[in-house]
Formats: sequence, structure tokens, C-alpha cells
Amino acid sequence: MDLAVVKELIADLNPQDWQEAQELILAALQRVNERFGYVSVEAAQVVADHLGTTVPRVYGLLTFYADFRTEPRGKKFMLLCHGMSCYVMGSQKLVQTLQDNYGIGDGGTTAGGELTVQVVNGCLGVCDRAPIVEMDHEYYGKLTPETFNDLVQRVIAQVNAGAAS
Amino acid sequence: MTESHIPHFRSKRDFEEYRKAAEEKWHELWNGSRTVVSVGVGSSSLAKGAAKVLREFEKHAGSDLVARKTGVDGADWSEVQVRVKRPNAPAVVYHHVTTDDVPTILAGKADDLILGVEGDAAYDGIQPISGLPFYKYQQRIVLANVGVIDPDSFEESVAVGAYSALYKALFEMSDEEVIAEMTAANLRGRGGAGFPAGIKWESGRKARVTPKFVVCNSHEGEPNVYKDRRIHEGDPHRILEGILVACVACGAERGYNYVGGEYPLAIKRFRRAVEDAERAGLIGKDIMGSGRDVAFRMRTGGGAYVCGEGSAMMYSIMGVRGQPRTKPPRSVEEGLWKRPTVANNTETLSNVRDIILKGGEWYSQFGTEKSKGTKLMTVQGPMNTMGLVEVPMGITLGTLVNEVWGGTRDGYTFKGIQTGGVSAGPLTPEYFDRPVDFDSLTDAGGMLGSGGFVVFDESVCAVDFARYLTAFNRVESCSKCVPCSLGNPALVEILDRIRLGRGSASDLPLIERTSKHIIELSLCGLGQVAPEPLLGMLQKFPEEFRRHAVDHVCDAGVCPMASDSVTVSLAAD
Ligand SMILES: Cc1cc2nc3c(=O)[nH]c(=O)nc-3n(C[C@H](O)[C@H](O)[C@H](O)COP(=O)(O)O)c2cc1C
Ligand code: FES
Repeated sequence: MDLAVVKELIADLNPQDWQEAQELILAALQRVNERFGYVSVEAAQVVADHLGTTVPRVYGLLTFYADFRTEPRGKKFMLLCHGMSCYVMGSQKLVQTLQDNYGIGDGGTTAGGELTVQVVNGCLGVCDRAPIVEMDHEYYGKLTPETFNDLVQRVIAQVNAGAAS
Repeated sequence: MTESHIPHFRSKRDFEEYRKAAEEKWHELWNGSRTVVSVGVGSSSLAKGAAKVLREFEKHAGSDLVARKTGVDGADWSEVQVRVKRPNAPAVVYHHVTTDDVPTILAGKADDLILGVEGDAAYDGIQPISGLPFYKYQQRIVLANVGVIDPDSFEESVAVGAYSALYKALFEMSDEEVIAEMTAANLRGRGGAGFPAGIKWESGRKARVTPKFVVCNSHEGEPNVYKDRRIHEGDPHRILEGILVACVACGAERGYNYVGGEYPLAIKRFRRAVEDAERAGLIGKDIMGSGRDVAFRMRTGGGAYVCGEGSAMMYSIMGVRGQPRTKPPRSVEEGLWKRPTVANNTETLSNVRDIILKGGEWYSQFGTEKSKGTKLMTVQGPMNTMGLVEVPMGITLGTLVNEVWGGTRDGYTFKGIQTGGVSAGPLTPEYFDRPVDFDSLTDAGGMLGSGGFVVFDESVCAVDFARYLTAFNRVESCSKCVPCSLGNPALVEILDRIRLGRGSASDLPLIERTSKHIIELSLCGLGQVAPEPLLGMLQKFPEEFRRHAVDHVCDAGVCPMASDSVTVSLAAD
């Protein structure tokens, strides 16, 4: 992770007082997480230094809030909705497919590092197309275990083709 | 409309003049000689290609055609929705539009895509959409401009009323009068608990410690609801105005909006609204020359459901783990930064504009005796016309299910409807005649909660669904108190035993005993209701639980009976 980029990402967070600095820690971490897909220890240090806090404090947040990751993710990143519409329409079977065919659970990455899947406990807001996943701002809805598996296969193949060329 | 420069309002006159010009421009847009094409663009329709459809229409824009975006009006089932308003005719609403349909629609030929016309009367043989069950029962106050205005347009927002309530609260009413209107409206909090907003504001106003704060709770971390983010996406200035009016009335120095971090479009559009309002001088010092100052900050959450609980939300804003604390003191006594803090749900604050402009009495004509006004309600599951609606409190459950949301899709048999998200139990058709409001579902084991309903069909196993709901609460428990952090895993363990075909008759009373402990001993509102969905499922589908526990059979064929592996059911399981 390029720490110069991390510094730049949070440079405009200039708290006027101690309270505001506290309020901005999460915001800073969210920017890093969004940009890199995770927050490394080194990045946590940069954030802590910038806002006058400590790495253990920052880690307390990273491990509490589900949106954060502390490890790099695969080349592609997918959100699998497990909200109630998706559950009722069969998202459990998709979670099971990941487990059975790829040996991964929530937050897991495929063996070749191609794809990380995060299971979302909320609702992605496209409930009429449930069960649904999102990747690179595209949505793939009304999935069955078969079409979902095809999708995962396609992503893996694409990533590997991209790496080979 | 092409946005004109946003001036800094230094006096009430400045605002009045801008508003007048904005209204005229708005009128001109709809009564001019150009065709106006409006595409509903929100998180739900973007997933169906709305951005591409808009871009396609924009290619045809020119001296005789305007292409613009609006928020989505809630009819998710009909997306992508496009409204075409030709001169001297009502707008024709098209549904299921793709980029391929654009030329046909512009040629006036895509009859099969027509949903209806706007307004109350038929036009040219086309029926009005207001006659469709999905729209017929709606009373749109909060959603009045959602799907109508361009949410990114400050000018359009002002043209349809934005900041007129703030103006009124600043220049034409005393703070006491503002609160009196809120109390007269008897608006109860839309975040789930139903506490009267007027009373909360009054306590906030009377608190003598300063500074004071107002926080809008837009966390919406429940897995069953998507209403608050739609207001952000469709009419962000309405929320901001509600927060600012609350700040003025309660004498709060600063307002906050705490938005769930998972809603990028809601965040983006709200942020834009805040920037525009700052530019206009509606946030900051000496608002519209009134001598009143209100600061504002937006904060985003990090995907922890419990952070929707009031005290946890405030801890989250303060940059620590969002773990609820015991009460008292209540937030209005000691909230954010240990200062008096008025916290309200997004929908609650979104009602403020109309209550201030039209009066509390006007508002209280809608709804029931004890639940005034309208409620945003969403549905999930295999429904025909699913989406977000705003209906008067007191509509019956059956009307919602069978008419508004069009009943279950072909091939699905209705089994139950989960109410109150992860905090209450399901209801069955025998309760269809119940009015839906804060109190009428409770004794049946249901709850209005935040208005998110989930219809499930025969393919869903009640035991497995109960496990899903209980496991959600288990994962989302903040681990601060023992009854919740150990009790919920214990419940999931019992349920897994039953699902694996290793249960026995004694497991069912054990569920009830364990649940009782969690409910009575937990620290916060999460644990205190966490077992309710399970108890509700057990109460409504006792035979199904017995079949699992005693006969070791899952009739829906969902549970992994006699298998060694427990199905992973939830994130972070
Ligand atoms: C576990 C838990 C989660 C909650 N989540 C939300 C939420 O996402 N949004 C919300 O407005 N209220 C939520 N609440 C209710 C809030 O604690 C609080 O009652 C509400 O925000 C007050 O606003 P209101 O009076 O306008 O409803 C939650 C409560 C609990 C116990
Ligand atoms: S529950 Fe998955 S999109 Fe709403």
C-alpha cells in the first residue's frame, strides 16, 4: 500500500479541535478502505498519526465495523446480499455454493486470489431482483446456484486471462 | 432545469426572490413548449440500467426536448420508469424501459410499455396510474417530491417547497410555536420505537446544558428495509431542512446526519445537498439574515447494525465502537459529547416540512387515533408489485399484501409475512384485517418497526428462517453484555441441533427459557428483542418446529437433516 497515497487521501481532514479529530477517524479509515479494499497496519499508523490517536484504537474500530478489512482482497470484489428479500429468495444456497465449490465463507478469497466475496448482512436495495450480487457497480440478480456458479467461474477465468495476456 | 447560480441568502428577501424565480422556472418547465422526459435514477433502477437509459434520452435533448433525472418513485417492480410530458398533455409513465425502447417512446409508439398517465383522469384512452392499486392507497407527504424533482437540483427543490419551513420557523414562528405544531401533529418517531417527536424536541429545548445537538438517524442497518436511503436519493433537501428546523427549535448549535456507509448514492446526493445549502447560507452563521447560527456535519457508519441504536450511534459519531449504554440518562439529557442531543429517524425529520407549513392539525387528519400521519413501508419477497410506498397509518395488512404489493408472484404460495425486521415475529393471513400502525400488530406478535415487511412462501422453512433471524442478531450483538452475546449463540446452537435432525422435544421449552433470559437481562434494544422473531416463528408454526425437533423432518426440504455440516447462514458466522 502506497502510504503517500494514504496521506493524500486524508490530507483534507483537518479537525479544528480534539472532538472533531475523534469524529474523523472513521471517515479517514473509510477512505483508505474504499481506495485499497483494506486498511493495513502501516495505513492505520498514518491515520492515527494524522488524527492524534493510536493504532490499537484504530484497530478497535477496524475489527468492530463490518465494512473494514485488514487484509488485501482478491483482484475482484463481490458483495453477496444476504438481506431478507435475498434470504427468502434463496441467497443461502448461494452462500452454500461458495462453501461447497470454492471452500470460502464470508470475506473469503478464491484459491487463486481472483475473487473475494463479502456476504452483506444488510440489503443492497434491489430486492425485486433477489437474490442478487454486486461487482464493479454491476448487479447480477435473480440468481440460482447454477447461474451464480457460472458467474464466479466467468470472473475467475476473466481475471486469469487478464493476468496471462 | 438547468441550474442557475446559487446565491448566498443574506436576508429573507434574498430567499423570497430566489424562491419566486425558482417557482416560475419550474412552472415554465412543465407548461412550456418542450417535451420533458424524466428518468427515475436511484440505486434500485441503476441496477436495471437507468443511467444508460437517461444517457440515451439525453442524446435527443435539444430545443424541443429536455431529458432529466429524478429519484425513483418507489415502484421498483416497474423500473426503469420514464415519464414523458408533452406540451398540453399529462405525463405518460412508461415502465420496464431499456435503451432499445428510447426511439420508440420518442416516436410515441411504445404502447405496450405504458403504465398510465399522471393525474386523476384518463387521457387519450390511457388510464391514470393513480387508479393502480400500487398508487391508489398512497398518501405521499414525505415522498411527495421523490420521483418528481432532480435530487441534485437545489433550485427545483426550492421550487417545490424546500427551506420554506425553515424560513417560516425562522421568521414567522417562535421556537415554542414550532414545537407546538410538532406536538399537535402527534408525529411518533419512525425509527421503530414510536416516541412522540414533539415531546422529545420539547425536552431538547428545555435542556440547559450547552452546546446541544440534533442527530438524524439514517443508519438503516436492518436487512429488511430500504426507505431512508430512498429519501436521501430522491429528496435530500427535505431531510436537511428537517434537521435544521429541529436545531432552530431546540436551540441546538449543530446538526448531524449519520448515514449508513453502504449507501453510496444516498451519501453522494446528500453531500451535494449539504454543499448547496452551505453555499446558499442555509447552514452556518446568520441563516438568511435571521441572526441564528446552525452548523452541520455528516457522518457515515461502518456496517454495524447496532449503530442504529441511539446511544451506539452517538458513540460511533464520536469515533469509538458503537456499543449502547444503559439509560438513563437519556440522550436528550446526555448524548453526543455528553451534551443534550435530540435524535430522530430520517423519516420523522422528513415530515417536519409539511407539518410546519400546513400545521400539526392538518397532519393529524391522516392515520389512526394513536398513530398519526403516513408511514413509509417496504416489502421484500416474491411479490408482484414490490417497492416503497407511503400510506396512511391504519391501512390493513391484507390491503398492503394483496393490493398495494399485488400478492405473491405466480408459482409462490403465501406462507407468512415477517414484521418488525429482526425484532418481532411473523403474521399469517388470519391477521390480514389488522390495521397497520404502531400498536395494532403487537399483541399478535408482530410489529410495525421501521415499516419493512417480508413475505415468505412455502419454500421457506420456518425453523431455518428463525435461525437466519437469530443468527443475524447473534452476529450483530456488540458483545457488551453477556445475556445477548452468549444467549443468542446458544439459541442458534439449539436451532442448528434441530436443523441437523439431532433435536428432541425438550429443545422447544429450552428455546423459550433461554429467550426469556435474553429478553429480560440484555442491556439494549437489540438483545431485549433478539429472540422475538424466533418466538414468533415458534408460535405461528409450532407444528413445523415439532416436526423438526421430534420427527427429524424438514418438510420444506431446506434444513440439512442428518448431515454433518451446518449450513453457513450468515456473514461472519
Ligand atoms: C438495535 C437497534 C437498531 C436501531 N436501528 C435504527 C436505525 O437504523 N434507524 C433509526 O432511525 N432508528 C434505529 N433504532 C431506534 C433508535 O434507537 C431510536 O429510537 C430512533 O432513532 C429515534 O428516532 P425516532 O424517535 O424518530 O424514531 C434502532 C434501535 C435498536 C435497539
Ligand atoms: S435483501 Fe438483497 S437486495 Fe434487498
